Amino acid sequence: MINPIKISPKEMINAYLLFFVIHSMQIGVGIHGFQRIVYQDARHDAWISVLLAGLATHIVAFCMIKTLEVYGSNDLYGIQQDVYGKWIGNFLNAIYILYCFVAFFAVLRNYIEVIQAWIFPGISTWFLSITLLLIVIYAFTGGLRVMVGVSFFSVVFALWILPIIIFPIKYGTVESLFPMLEANISSLLKGAHSMTFTIIGFEILNVIYPYIKDKKNASKYTHLALLATTFVYVSLMLVSISYYSEGNLLKTIWATLTLFSFISFPFIERFEFVAVVFWMLIILPNLCLYLWAAYRGTTRLVKVSGTKFVWIFSLFIFIGTLLVQTRIQINTINNQLGKMAFYIVFVYPIFLYMMTILKKKLTSQKEQKDEEL
Amino acid sequence: MKFKLPFNKKNETPVEIGAPRKDIGMLNPLKNDFVQSIKDATHNPADLIIKDIPPNHLTLIYINNLVDDVTLNDHIISNLQDKPNDTPEVIKATLSIPEINTSTRLEMAIKSLVNGSVLIHLEGYSQVIMANIPKRESRNLSTPENESQVLGAQVGFNESLSTNISLIRRYIVSPDLCNEKFTVGRRTNITVALLYINGIADDQMINTLRQRITDLNIDALLDSAVLAEMIDDNSMSVFPQMLLTERPDRFCDGLLNGKLGIVVDGSSMAIVCPQTFIEFFQSREDQNLRWQLATFARLLRFTAILLSVFLTPIYVGALTFHYEVIPQAFLVPLSESRALVPFPPVIEALLLEFIIELLREAGARLPTKIGQTIGIVGGIVIGTAAVQAGITSNILLIFVALSALASFTTPSYIMGNVIRLIRFPIIILAGYWGFYGIMLAFCFILIHLLRQSSLGAPYMSPFYPPRLKSMADTIIRLPLSLTSKRPEVTRPSDQEKFNPEPVKPDKS
Amino acid sequence: MKNFRFFLILLFLPSMLVGCVETNILDKLGLVTLVGYDVGTEEKMATTSAIREVNPEFQSNVEVITTENETSKGNRMKTNRKLSKKVVVGQMRVILFGEELAKDDIQHYIDAHLENESVSNSVYLAVVEGEMTELLEYEYKNIDDIGQHIYRLLEQNIKQENMISATLHETGHDLYTAGEDIFMPIIKKEEEVVELSGIALFKNSKMVSKIPPEDTFYVKLIAERFKTGTFETILQKEDIPDNLMKNTPNEIPIAFDTIHSKRELKLVNPNTPEFDLKVKIKSRITEIYPDVNLGDPKTVAILQKAISKNLSREISRVIAYSQSVDSDIFAFGEKFRSSVRGSNLTKEKWHELYKDMKVNVEVDFVILRSGVFE
Repeated sequence: MINPIKISPKEMINAYLLFFVIHSMQIGVGIHGFQRIVYQDARHDAWISVLLAGLATHIVAFCMIKTLEVYGSNDLYGIQQDVYGKWIGNFLNAIYILYCFVAFFAVLRNYIEVIQAWIFPGISTWFLSITLLLIVIYAFTGGLRVMVGVSFFSVVFALWILPIIIFPIKYGTVESLFPMLEANISSLLKGAHSMTFTIIGFEILNVIYPYIKDKKNASKYTHLALLATTFVYVSLMLVSISYYSEGNLLKTIWATLTLFSFISFPFIERFEFVAVVFWMLIILPNLCLYLWAAYRGTTRLVKVSGTKFVWIFSLFIFIGTLLVQTRIQINTINNQLGKMAFYIVFVYPIFLYMMTILKKKLTSQKEQKDEEL
Repeated sequence: MKFKLPFNKKNETPVEIGAPRKDIGMLNPLKNDFVQSIKDATHNPADLIIKDIPPNHLTLIYINNLVDDVTLNDHIISNLQDKPNDTPEVIKATLSIPEINTSTRLEMAIKSLVNGSVLIHLEGYSQVIMANIPKRESRNLSTPENESQVLGAQVGFNESLSTNISLIRRYIVSPDLCNEKFTVGRRTNITVALLYINGIADDQMINTLRQRITDLNIDALLDSAVLAEMIDDNSMSVFPQMLLTERPDRFCDGLLNGKLGIVVDGSSMAIVCPQTFIEFFQSREDQNLRWQLATFARLLRFTAILLSVFLTPIYVGALTFHYEVIPQAFLVPLSESRALVPFPPVIEALLLEFIIELLREAGARLPTKIGQTIGIVGGIVIGTAAVQAGITSNILLIFVALSALASFTTPSYIMGNVIRLIRFPIIILAGYWGFYGIMLAFCFILIHLLRQSSLGAPYMSPFYPPRLKSMADTIIRLPLSLTSKRPEVTRPSDQEKFNPEPVKPDKS
Repeated sequence: MKNFRFFLILLFLPSMLVGCVETNILDKLGLVTLVGYDVGTEEKMATTSAIREVNPEFQSNVEVITTENETSKGNRMKTNRKLSKKVVVGQMRVILFGEELAKDDIQHYIDAHLENESVSNSVYLAVVEGEMTELLEYEYKNIDDIGQHIYRLLEQNIKQENMISATLHETGHDLYTAGEDIFMPIIKKEEEVVELSGIALFKNSKMVSKIPPEDTFYVKLIAERFKTGTFETILQKEDIPDNLMKNTPNEIPIAFDTIHSKRELKLVNPNTPEFDLKVKIKSRITEIYPDVNLGDPKTVAILQKAISKNLSREISRVIAYSQSVDSDIFAFGEKFRSSVRGSNLTKEKWHELYKDMKVNVEVDFVILRSGVFE
């Protein structure tokens, strides 16, 4: 076991904050329009697909925590270096950093696209990306505690959105949900697979784990957070299926935002305009923590200070947002990220878990042999 | 990113406060030489009195405006006049003055002289007697004007350190009340007292604060507000991280919750720290009201603050970009009231905010009587005229007046000013990018607040890091039985304030 | 390094001011509150819009402008050329379709509005009977703002449940549901007033027929729930049992309000298809002529039965009529789809089945109370 991370207790966070971290990481830009993508495969049983995807997150998170527990106080980067050796380990670390980069980019670019489509058709991309990046940099330089604080407040301040989706229920029909389980298993699984882009984010656990004060509670709060996320997604899916009709949902790009369009209060109408800008607070933790995860990995590969890293990282992201301009390009990136994430987030942790167990057995056998000799 | 003030802490080599700039040395036993050395050291001021009492070869030296005339006449001059020629020890014993010392060092004598002592020099002795009889000029105690409240004590601090400490001691009658003295300011030598309650306050925090005060390398200190800004965790932030209060009860409440207090001589405001963001919006009066009323008052205050910060920006944002969100019922009145206005909403709002701030500033600068007139004249005449002239719309006038009014509900004057100040950048942002700009400002403020700390304690506590128990006394105030614990932000050594069990016997 | 970064941010701030966006200052806008589409005389599409403007005399006035072009955006540009203010559609409340256009096809129009992010999904849709321009451009004596007026007219009647609701969202929803057809209120200029004159029935996106406003009540009973509302019906001779009163009149007009209704729809035979429709109504009798003693439980029971019979006959009539014009506005098809596994229902498939659909109507009418005077 090499490279354990030593962290002073001041930098550590309590396990219950993990709930907010994971929940806020999972909910981001995907929630704007996941309904359509899942619906394409699973039709009106899409909510079952969402449920299945939620179930999968629980299984994967379980494996992740088991793997991390083997090492005590280490993150994915250290584990990979230990399991595969320096070269292969570092190569895999680089891939994971790249993944964080792409995820960060996708979140940022998708949000910019939503703003441009709903509120300011004429606003320039570079302006939005600079302002958002500056906010993220400001949070990042504050350290992990500030970033966790952002994710805490993003969950708390967004709580009021959940009861608001009751409004559209008035216009929903229960019949849209029936007959249940009409879709076959393969299309349900396909639908669950399409949830990847939306439901990822909990892999931050791999990196944040050593920073948790009471590690024995980590799994409890992780699963609670996953449960909460699944609840949010399933309820939103149910509301969407009953609110929209079949053809309607397939044509609505951001079904969640369109849901808000119907909501009006005596003092404000067209609620989606508020919701779209408010989403900035919801994507902030995604951006901050992906950035942070990438930084943690980079420090394993090269020596770099946090501030230097964040400026270089932001510069690349900024150039990226300028290059990707059209909706089609954005969708391609989302799809590619979804595919990449499926292997990195869902398949790989299970594999890694088996590898660590194997390695542990081998080393203990070796030690025994050494002792016998 | 941390910005550091040039005079702030650490990097520079600390210069000991009150250290002699040059060693003047010992006192001269000869009278003339002695007088001359004192004159040299004090640059022979006009109010330096040198008085000989001939029979005993005694010389009295004092600064006229610093000593108390009555005591000087009754207890010193009359006592010394017909006494035989004695040693300094005998004279020291004969004088009925509580604070009396002897020294042979010139530096000590000078320091004592400027503090309000009479130096008594005896021909032939190098020792000098220093009888401290300062004239304590201070205002009478009056009601705290900046932090008035309806229910509760109506006494405020004044500018005298000793009066202030006696007020505090009267609230907390306990030997555990610790009082440490520091002298701050190379030139002014102001006395600063650090107060805390032993057994509640956290030692680490006391050390930090002590360290910060002694590390100060500063020329002059005229008010506690300056001190607060300099020993804040982040002096560059617009948000104060320490509370300035002129209410002894609020100060003592802080001490009893495990906080540390600083009283500066010559300043009517005391510093309380660590202070969290939310505590700036709480008033001592909330404790004196029933919890339902207190909760209502607090919710009112927080709503007012949200309104104050975001109402005008939302108006600007909605009218400049997001006309879609305006409900139909408002549409006609809003657009009609703006029909004559030649400016875009952002300029209109800034102009009006500017006028309101002008009125406030003018009201604060002028004597109270005129100030009131300015408020009324400004409010009514300028407001009405501006609407009639078509410079602003009357709906915005209501919004701006409302948000100005709302900002004055903040119990802390400094925080109230901050609330009014941060509105301006948000209005500009809203004028350029509508709701996106407002949200950008909101996120920035949130992150900024999260980054702050007060004496090392998290500024956003108890919301972040979340402490459910301490939240009982924040935005709302739950009944006393649920708030028996001290807030965790002060890391108190003794957590329980009182036993939450009811003292009343059950009604049966 | 630290200073450098600080200056970098300072440099950013002014550059951000460059990134400002197109403003929509409220008083510089001409707000379209209502838009009416019709078939153009020369070009494909004729658009009449009611635009609210504010002028410096502290008054807002409404302009009604008609243009013709190939697309709705083209029409907006043409309208813009005639106004001093920028024309925007974010505050649009009503979309009207000319009858001729509705009979042609309105799918394109609904899609275009669903696509436009600044148009709210709660816009009301309606069909205009007669000339569109005449309805909108006429200077009514008591109506200042025709756009606002039509919006209030529709809103008030829909909230009171006197008219079926067809918002952009609901219409879009039904248009893309296999087993459902869309419907809209019809409005008409009647001398000096604008009135609701019925419901337009559509097959797919083409208007096929209309039913009178009195039948709205039945449509609502079949399709959804009631929470409030007033209605009158006339009991025909055959409904009235002989023992209700001595001199049975030919008709008994009867009015009731505060209606709570609940419908239960069940598919009993997927092959025909055949439905069981159960409607439960609870209501208060407000008017009945000639006077019937409502204090007598027996009379009440008889009356309830009589009304039930009357209502179920009327409901059957409305269903039969909509079947005859092949427009399923009651969403029987949706029920069919949700009850039959693997139906893969499409609009065409359903319309074939719909013609032969059988519905067994059963009404359960309960009189909760009459007024405060018996």
